[in-house]
Amino acid sequence: MPKSKKEIIAIDSISKIYHLGDNVVKALDNVSISIYENDFISIMGPSGSGKSTLMNIIGCLDVPTKGVYKFSNELISEMNDSQLANIRNEKIGFVFQTFNLLPKLTSLQNVEVPLIYSSLGRTERLERAEEALRIVGLSDRMTHKPNELSGGQRQRVAIARALANKPSIILADEPTGNLDSKSGVEILNFFDELHKAGNTLIIVTHEESVAKRAKRRVELFDGKIVVDE
Amino acid sequence: MNSIFKNILIGLAAVRANLTRVILTSLGLTIGIFTVSIVTAGVSSIDKEFDKSMEYYGNDKIYVGTWPWSFEFDWWQYRNRPKIDEDSLEYITKYSTYVTDVSIKKNTWTRGSFGNKSSWLQLNGVYPGYDEMLSGTKIVNGRFFSQNEWDLQRRVVIVGGTVRDGFFDGENPIGKKIRLNNVTFEVIGELKKQGMGMVPGGTLDNLVIMPSSTFSRILTRWGFDELVLKTKPEDMLKAKEEVGMIMRLARKLKPDEDDNFSVNSADAYQEQFDAIKIAIAGMGFLVTGISLVVSAIGIMNVMFVSVRERTREIGLRKAIGATNNNILIQFLSEAVAISIIGGSTGIILVKLITMALSAFSPLPIDFDLLLIFYTFMICVFIGVSAGMVPARTAANLNPIDALRHE
Repeated sequence: MPKSKKEIIAIDSISKIYHLGDNVVKALDNVSISIYENDFISIMGPSGSGKSTLMNIIGCLDVPTKGVYKFSNELISEMNDSQLANIRNEKIGFVFQTFNLLPKLTSLQNVEVPLIYSSLGRTERLERAEEALRIVGLSDRMTHKPNELSGGQRQRVAIARALANKPSIILADEPTGNLDSKSGVEILNFFDELHKAGNTLIIVTHEESVAKRAKRRVELFDGKIVVDE
Repeated sequence: MNSIFKNILIGLAAVRANLTRVILTSLGLTIGIFTVSIVTAGVSSIDKEFDKSMEYYGNDKIYVGTWPWSFEFDWWQYRNRPKIDEDSLEYITKYSTYVTDVSIKKNTWTRGSFGNKSSWLQLNGVYPGYDEMLSGTKIVNGRFFSQNEWDLQRRVVIVGGTVRDGFFDGENPIGKKIRLNNVTFEVIGELKKQGMGMVPGGTLDNLVIMPSSTFSRILTRWGFDELVLKTKPEDMLKAKEEVGMIMRLARKLKPDEDDNFSVNSADAYQEQFDAIKIAIAGMGFLVTGISLVVSAIGIMNVMFVSVRERTREIGLRKAIGATNNNILIQFLSEAVAISIIGGSTGIILVKLITMALSAFSPLPIDFDLLLIFYTFMICVFIGVSAGMVPARTAANLNPIDALRHE
């Protein structure tokens, strides 16, 4: 592991414990992981292995029950809801399996949504959103609504939305899960480009072909990291 | 501040996207605002008219007559009372400590004409100096009749604004000859126009005043007489009591006999009027209150639907950086917008109806900016109260669960 790189995420022995009736479920059991600038990580594991929980915690959508999570030296595990929202807004770009575009908004407006929750002015917002759409190659689809776009194009709009705030990491949850194989490959090629351009990528997947693209592979089983290479 | 504005815009976009539903929901508030505006406007208009009428009667005047001023008018109880006569005035002038000025006021209606124009007019026969006792109006042109003219029973009249407009068509009425009951009178003065009021006949200006001596000689047919007494407004209660006692003395009533006259003043009207006003306002506000509560429940319901429909959107917005407050403001603005749409529709309806009414009704209905401001405040209040619970539900959604919502 290249030690010269800057550490973005430092996760130290975190656990996530759910109480379901009398049962105690350890979704994550004493997990530690560091993520560095320009990493390209795949997180794999069967259902119930805790990969979604780990992704939610890395994405600051959830906080661990125990342990310490630092993001750019900020202590995430101690933050309240609105501090977490700000971290998600400024540092993290999400890409979802089901795209989660707002159906009544155009591509440009969809990409603008995260910027609305930042402190940017209107002009800068538009510039950033246009720039992000240009990066994903959809400059000519800015005024189209999601139902006027193909699946691959929709996911690219979603990626543009993730890029719009210039996040420290991009977190993709099964990004090719709802796409045909051709569009899937397109999107993965695009992730390669993003990685080359210096972005830090984390892809949660159960597909071997997707995981192979990543430079670092993390596997979870029963709430523990079993592979990290 | 900027971010609050942006969240409000997001809320408004949702309103535009569901316009039909929004309009149907806001209908309840339309009705509520409509009722409250009509009631408020109506009450304040009636109030204004009433004040003008009160001015006509004056807050410093006591009127002694055969009948009490009452909306519950049991005329058969009073019809056998003796007529008011001028002898009583001598007693009052002699004994009263509060009354500063007195006059007889003989009332009748007759046809008056000028050239080929004719009209029913109210005639008053009064004493010289009655011009000092006029309230709500005054001589604006010409003069009042003199003691000498009264003594000589001269045929001179002072006319009200309506008579001037009707007969003389903007020309100076002074010196013109009009005919009343087939007798010719000379116009020597003109009264300031007062407008409509809640008095018998509606207008305060369809009036002709002449010396009571002339009146008695020429117009002795039907009508009624009153004593008009002037006092200080602050002495009104004591003066009325005193006048009552002096009248009993003048009428030589025994202690066990009931009054056979009535001592009236504008405040007697005031009490009855207040009761009516409270009844109108009470009913109006009850209806309004119910419709406002019902419409608030409707808005709350539609907001819960909106939150449910957009659970995934809320999840997404929170995942990409919306704070709980951002979401709260978004949904509160949606609720407030629905309620303002309802309220504005109500206000527009009120405006249209007042415009239509003012073409027919002599009572103008007040419609002012303050009313719009209050409506706006009510709408904001209802929107916030109705939207608070759904908006909080939305704001507190867990983004992970919300994103998984189907």
